[in-house]
Amino acid sequence: MSRGRTLHQIAAVATLVAVAALCWVLIALARDGLEHWHWWLLWRYPREIQAGGGVGPEIVNTMTMVSLAEGFSLPLGWCAAVWLSEYVRPSPTVRWLERLFIGLQSIPAIVVGLVAFQVLIGALHWPLSVGTGTVALAILNLPQVVVFSRQAMAGVPQSLREGSLALGATPFQTVWTMVLPASLASLVDQMGLSWARLAGEAALLIFTAGLNVGPHWGWFQPGETLAVHLWSVRTEGLMPDRASLAAETGILLIAMTALAIVAAKLLSNRITRRQRGPGRGRGGDRE
Amino acid sequence: MSTTTKLRLEGVSVWYGAQMALRDISLQVPQGVVLALIGPSGCGKSTLLRVVNRLVERSPGAKVQGRVWLDNEDILRRDMDVAQLRRRVGMIFQRPTPFPFSIFDNVAYGPRLHGVKDPVGLRRVVEDSLKQAALWDEVRGKLRRPASGLSGGQQQRLALARALAVDPEVILLDEPTSALDPGAAARIEELVVKLKGRYTVVIVTHNLQQAARVSDLTGFIQAGALIELGETSLIFTAPRDQRTEAYLTGQLE
Ligand SMILES: Nc1ncnc2c1ncn2[C@@H]1O[C@H](COP(=O)(O)OP(=O)(O)O)[C@@H](O)[C@H]1O
Ligand SMILES: [Mg+2]
Repeated sequence: MSRGRTLHQIAAVATLVAVAALCWVLIALARDGLEHWHWWLLWRYPREIQAGGGVGPEIVNTMTMVSLAEGFSLPLGWCAAVWLSEYVRPSPTVRWLERLFIGLQSIPAIVVGLVAFQVLIGALHWPLSVGTGTVALAILNLPQVVVFSRQAMAGVPQSLREGSLALGATPFQTVWTMVLPASLASLVDQMGLSWARLAGEAALLIFTAGLNVGPHWGWFQPGETLAVHLWSVRTEGLMPDRASLAAETGILLIAMTALAIVAAKLLSNRITRRQRGPGRGRGGDRE
Repeated sequence: MSTTTKLRLEGVSVWYGAQMALRDISLQVPQGVVLALIGPSGCGKSTLLRVVNRLVERSPGAKVQGRVWLDNEDILRRDMDVAQLRRRVGMIFQRPTPFPFSIFDNVAYGPRLHGVKDPVGLRRVVEDSLKQAALWDEVRGKLRRPASGLSGGQQQRLALARALAVDPEVILLDEPTSALDPGAAARIEELVVKLKGRYTVVIVTHNLQQAARVSDLTGFIQAGALIELGETSLIFTAPRDQRTEAYLTGQLE
């Protein structure tokens, strides 16, 4: 009993230390970043050796690459999840596939990056580019989408499916008009988290999208996201303001991911409120 | 009472894996009649209903044998259009299951599935169905509100309206009042009586008085077998089978 208590205390202390360390890093970052904060950071092109460069293309890259990667992987992963959860009967093969996706989910991103590099760039001769990086991000994201889509669908009670089928819905109609809306809140929430995860991804993109600090932009040209820029500025940057630039970029990245997570959560709550009704929100009287 | 047979079961047996849930059930329900099914819990009443709209197939390991005829169509045949069948055979479940949509969208769900798009037509179907389910007066002007805000009794009437909106021929009710308070249960009962004649109804109930009040025919099921089926007044006053009598006296005391 006292051993359990001790473990409990150790865990509590460890959590406190972790939270304190995280806060310290955030505060240090905010101090360094905000001290020299310049709004022109948001639209200027980066500079290689002089001070005063911005991260305009990096912001555009982060938004487009991550959003497009989500745009590929969400529908694909969702369909795979629908097939596994709603269409096939439970069987050893299905369980095996399910394990596979859970396993794939925990492969380190850098390994996925290496594979993407070998296949897309090595074998298929795609250029080291924004486009290739986007595809690699989508591949990285796919198992996660399958797993969280399946979780979202598992949260839909069988009674709703049977209620739909009993009215003459086909299995396809049941998925599309009942299971999807009923799991939408959870999907949107997870989508925000997944967007943030991809936005913070650097290792995989260094392999596939490369680095770019020049003032040009294109699908088939190298391009970096904020996360990659952050890494390159801090490790091999030559600009004199690299310390504050890295801190500012870090702040920006944190703000963007936080925004994605919070926006998705708010939207998700809104969907839940509309579905669950005036018990938790306000119900409109108008027809 | 009309004499055309709407629904006919012929030697229906159901297994869940190795466990037999229904044994060789044969029965006929004439058009427009209310059949009540009574029996101890776990005897297979729900399974029987789920055979008629083929929801039973969703249970892993379920196996169905025998024939079920709706009008003169064998509905257990392999190439039966199951969605089309379920459109003709509505079902109300034991637990109220409001869909996570507005009241309007709940009732409009079925018609929309079947291709009704025109808003005026939809509105009319929704209004008619809600009126038929005696819910209209309580929800008019609130159709955009989430259905989950309704009380249990209202939700069950909403489920009825939802089923009526696709214009079924047969309505299956699986202990529709067991989760409701007596007042709400009484309203559902009134509705079942009103459905009589226009629809063919099979209602499973644990409440014998309810069976006696709403049904024309009553069937008693025990351990998966149909022990006795006959006119409700006769079953309750002069059951032929000893087991029926034992069950009725046991339950009524
Ligand atoms: N999905 C299922 N899988 C396995 N056994 C089931 C399933 N549904 C019902 N059963 C079993 O079949 C028998 C009949 O169940 P049911 O039809 O639900 O009875 P009732 O509705 O009369 O209470 C019970 O013994 C029950 O445990
Ligand atoms: Mg039952």
